Amino acid sequence: MRATAAWAVGVVAAVGTLIAQAPATQAPAQAAPAAAASGGIPDLAGVWDGGGRARPVNGENVPWARGKNFPDLNERGLAYVKVFDEAVAPKYDCFPSTSPAIQYDPYMMEVVQWPDRVLFRYEKDDQLRTVLIDGRRPTVADYSIQGFSVGRYEDDALLVETTHFTFDITGFDDYNGVPSSHQKRVLERYWRDGADLRVTVTVEDPMFLRKPASYTTRWIAAPSGSKLAPFECDPESARASIKFLPPRYK
Amino acid sequence: MKVQRCLAGAAAASAGALLLLAAPAVAHHSNAPFYDSANRVEMQGTITKFVFMNPHAFLFIDALDAQGKTINWQIELGAPISLRRTGWTPDTMKAGTEVKVTGSRSRAEGTFGMCCARITRLDGSPITPGGRVQEESVPR
Repeated sequence: MRATAAWAVGVVAAVGTLIAQAPATQAPAQAAPAAAASGGIPDLAGVWDGGGRARPVNGENVPWARGKNFPDLNERGLAYVKVFDEAVAPKYDCFPSTSPAIQYDPYMMEVVQWPDRVLFRYEKDDQLRTVLIDGRRPTVADYSIQGFSVGRYEDDALLVETTHFTFDITGFDDYNGVPSSHQKRVLERYWRDGADLRVTVTVEDPMFLRKPASYTTRWIAAPSGSKLAPFECDPESARASIKFLPPRYK
Repeated sequence: MKVQRCLAGAAAASAGALLLLAAPAVAHHSNAPFYDSANRVEMQGTITKFVFMNPHAFLFIDALDAQGKTINWQIELGAPISLRRTGWTPDTMKAGTEVKVTGSRSRAEGTFGMCCARITRLDGSPITPGGRVQEESVPR
């Protein structure tokens, strides 16, 4: 585990930030818990809204904007993007969203803090990420779609490191067809900013990126009584618009 | 090409009151590769099917083309998981309802798809009582 308190800044070679501005109106929010519980441990628990009320909805330029924080792809990455065919993107077969996209998907998220782990439950694709904070480290048997996450609390923030991702043809960004490899390493820093939850997500993947890429965003508290709904991706619905794509290859 | 992302809105002034202007509120994917925002089309027809499943709801409408041939249009809507929070249900759109639809046409030649659609009754009124007709678009 990293020891330096300057981790969040020092690890990033080129940092771009994207911070959503508050919309003009908001639905009544759940009673926002105190930003800091005790002993430098932030209170991140609750249901959080990552939709259009909290931040711009994701797309080709959100959260990765060309000319700002768009990843600096190496020759391998550029080649993949050049030949990428939207029609074969795994999401059209209900393949789940992964880091760094899942943190920006415009749906609800729930955070549960236990003594030995922090659970991130995502409405999108019904995903659960477990961040172990008991000192455990991944083994070679721990590769998965969402990788293996470990974390610690430091200076009123939760620091998360995720590795051991399996190869994913759109694992960096599924709007631009940027892949990710087993070398992907995602660093997240979560903290409370008043009633909001914020995160900086930094991605390293020397297989496709020349240097780390980063974005910062926020969630707002979901309306009181909010619960995550099942997503239950339907394969037919997921692929129903593919026929509207002009074929790229014959 | 300017990419527009249309947002769905809903009136919830009373139980069952719904706004009927549908567009992908949150997109499973970018619309631009699939639909041409510069090619807006309008048609009138009859709802034949309403599929209310994530990641996208779809509305199927039979309409006559200029030659009197029946065309089955497929209108892409938002994610039901979000639409439900604005009052939509699987019964919001009923087969047999006559509607007027304006939206961005699908790109692939010979297909009849639409997104970012404005959907009303033939006279322009909301499909359900008390609903509002409203369209928002956010340029990207």
